[in-house]
Amino acid sequence: MMAFGQTRKTLDASSTPGVWTPVNAFLKNNKALAAIVFLSIFPFLMPYEALAVKILVFGLYALGFNLLFGYTGMLSFGHAAFLGAGAYGAGMVIVHLRAPFLLAIAGGVSLAALVAVVMGLLSIRTRGIYFSMVTLALSQCIYYLIYNAESWTGGENGLRGINISTVGLLGIQINFLDPILRYYVIFVFVALALWFLARILASPFGAVLEAIRENEKRAAACGYNVASAKLLSFVLSGAFCGLAGALWAVHLSVVPIETVYYLTSGEAVIMCLLGGMGTYFGPFVGAAIYLLFEDVLTLQTSHWQLYLGILFVLCVLFFPRGVWGSLTDWTSRR
Amino acid sequence: MTADLLLLQLLTGIALGSIFVLLALGLSLIFGMLTVVNFAHGAFYMVGAYVGVYLYGLTGNFWVSVVAAPLCIAAMGLITERFLIRPLYGRGIDYPLLLTFGLSYIFVEAIRMIFGLAGLPFGTPVGLRGAVNVGVGYFPYYRLFLMAFTAAITLAIWLVVERTRFGLIVRAGARDPEIVRVLGVDISRIRLIVFGIGTGLAGLAGILAAPIQAVTPEMGIPALAEAFVVTVIGGMGSLAGAVVAGLLVGIVVAMTSLFVPAMAKASVFFLMALILLIRPRGLFGQTGLMD
Amino acid sequence: MATTLLQTEGLTKRFGHFVALDNVSVGFREGELAAVIGPNGAGKSTFFNVLSGSFPPTAGRLTFEGRDISGLPQHAFTRCGIAKSFQITNVFPNLPALENVRIAVQARYARLNIWTPRRKLTEVIDDAAALMEATGILPHARRTASSLAHGEQRALEIAMALASNPRLLLLDEPTAGMSPEETRAMMDLIARLARERTIILVEHKMKLVMGLCQRLIVLHHGQLLAVGTPEEIRAHPSVRRVYLGQRH
Repeated sequence: MMAFGQTRKTLDASSTPGVWTPVNAFLKNNKALAAIVFLSIFPFLMPYEALAVKILVFGLYALGFNLLFGYTGMLSFGHAAFLGAGAYGAGMVIVHLRAPFLLAIAGGVSLAALVAVVMGLLSIRTRGIYFSMVTLALSQCIYYLIYNAESWTGGENGLRGINISTVGLLGIQINFLDPILRYYVIFVFVALALWFLARILASPFGAVLEAIRENEKRAAACGYNVASAKLLSFVLSGAFCGLAGALWAVHLSVVPIETVYYLTSGEAVIMCLLGGMGTYFGPFVGAAIYLLFEDVLTLQTSHWQLYLGILFVLCVLFFPRGVWGSLTDWTSRR
Repeated sequence: MTADLLLLQLLTGIALGSIFVLLALGLSLIFGMLTVVNFAHGAFYMVGAYVGVYLYGLTGNFWVSVVAAPLCIAAMGLITERFLIRPLYGRGIDYPLLLTFGLSYIFVEAIRMIFGLAGLPFGTPVGLRGAVNVGVGYFPYYRLFLMAFTAAITLAIWLVVERTRFGLIVRAGARDPEIVRVLGVDISRIRLIVFGIGTGLAGLAGILAAPIQAVTPEMGIPALAEAFVVTVIGGMGSLAGAVVAGLLVGIVVAMTSLFVPAMAKASVFFLMALILLIRPRGLFGQTGLMD
Repeated sequence: MATTLLQTEGLTKRFGHFVALDNVSVGFREGELAAVIGPNGAGKSTFFNVLSGSFPPTAGRLTFEGRDISGLPQHAFTRCGIAKSFQITNVFPNLPALENVRIAVQARYARLNIWTPRRKLTEVIDDAAALMEATGILPHARRTASSLAHGEQRALEIAMALASNPRLLLLDEPTAGMSPEETRAMMDLIARLARERTIILVEHKMKLVMGLCQRLIVLHHGQLLAVGTPEEIRAHPSVRRVYLGQRH
């Protein structure tokens, strides 16, 4: 077998060397590390810790959604179901079973993964617009199920009383009520998720997902079981969003019913598009933009959604690669 | 639970279904001709209600509202298609969807800014009030008007689509846009007009719904979901499907709210999920429209 | 006597009321280079699509190496050892050419592996590069697939089809839209590939198939009209009638 060392480098190198190439190369090959380093100093960049936590959580939510949308090419409008399943799962474990933090997180993620398996099996066979519609409908069904299961979920008023004051991690008892410590506890989980996601994207499976996005028929002709791959992507995506939901529930101490409403699914779409779908950092950037808009603009005007809508429309028209995607495109040409 | 009560509820269902029919007709027309899923359809519906109520406040004449509001909304639709959606053709089926999705946020917030958060109180207009004895009981006059008006509009649409040259192009274009372009028809103009008609219908649905529904900036959100449900059940791009499914869904909601009120809203989503899983193209839809 | 690799029995395909294939029974022998020909609308594309697993037949059977494969999903066909190229170029447009082939090769090694970085799977990359060299497109490795010239994209498709190391290769109009030089290069490639595996072509350029193929299968209105060597087909009265005295 001939050695194709030079050709192998093809898959790593960028097109033309420029002043930004070393930075881009580093980011490409050490995605998780770069993100984790940045996020470890993140709370000091934000006006207050709770906002940093919110960006962390919703960044993870958008990241999970992006696995399915940006990488596999499937536009789901039902991801609120996974965020909600994770949140309600963790919340119910704490409220009804009085279980500790770690068990609750595991419970939330497991429930979200389970919901994803069911929703996935039902929706994978549909394609394109129908897929978007099915996921919307199924997540609304879950919304109504949660709404009506009042004794378990609190119904319209949401699930309350998710009170965690200390978290036991690796034998250390951490005071969860301290804002900075709370950030770092949640950060640990998000960092693990980021690392896991980076591995998935760099794996052979990651290439299969991109192949499906590019040309499903071709991927099948190569010998890939497209339905299985889609289902796995769906479940992984749901699990990541479920983790975000579980962390959110523990942070807020409540799970509002709106978490499962389809508008929350829409938020994932917005964040992904704003930041850049199909990129690793994009969803986080998008989540940060969205939530900063909400936080900062709310002080100026209660109509921040107008400006968000305008920004979103501008992105669709002129910056389909999103803020981060456009930035990387621009720097790779310099 | 008497037979009379059931029949009255059935009529209520048909009245409710009339709004769905108008919404779904617009959505299906737009999808059939432009292959665009209009996520702003609920927002156009809501703005139609607001414009209509506002005009009624100015003129005291409901007919002015019913004619002028849809025309205003259609104009908004024309501008939207021409400047926002047209640049996106060829970019992939998701982009117009995403754009209209973002547009809905703009519309909702703009209405909140102009008219406030609380909504506009609006009762049944003078001249259409009261109830009529329909044999099995007393039924609100306005709802009969609603049903009759919708039937008339549906008939008009049917005539245009089936009997005019324009309608022929719309039907042909829905099946095969390339052929229509090759035949020298200006497809851009047709798309523009169809989008205008589709959104105009949404606006009409809005003002007609105003007397029987709360006029708030958020009223378009559940309406959008319901419009999708109906369009999917009927078959995306099918006008017959929009009519049949619209009435069907209206009846299902009305009947469910009689027996299991808590599940009334949920029932349509379960129905939609069911249809999508068993017969994805809907009752009257065509296969291969999506692949 | 060579063994029969692929066999159709009473293969029928209906689209609604339209019968595209009508009771076609034919066998393809191992190691041969065969072509399916016929006038426009004869059902060649439909036949190709059923043989290659794009869609199942409405009736009849398809057996490969003795196994009934009718109605199996597309990926199962590939895993059995049947590979195809499409009539309209069908690659992963926004990915580099090498990545296109690498993904095709990867399907043999690691499909649902979510852990190992794929950069580390050097044998996959090396195999892909070797395939690109064999089909003459290695210089274009780092270019985006959609930026390749038409002939190069066709070669890319063939490289991807070969990636699964197929026993049977199905090529749908491989020279469509090519210049004479490109066509010659493609025919040379096919002849080379035919030495190691069974190939079935769908073609309507008669001159090509006459010189190249050992057996021709002629379809007309979805039915099997004739089967034989190029000489037999050339002299066949029904075939001559159907082609209306077309000279080749």
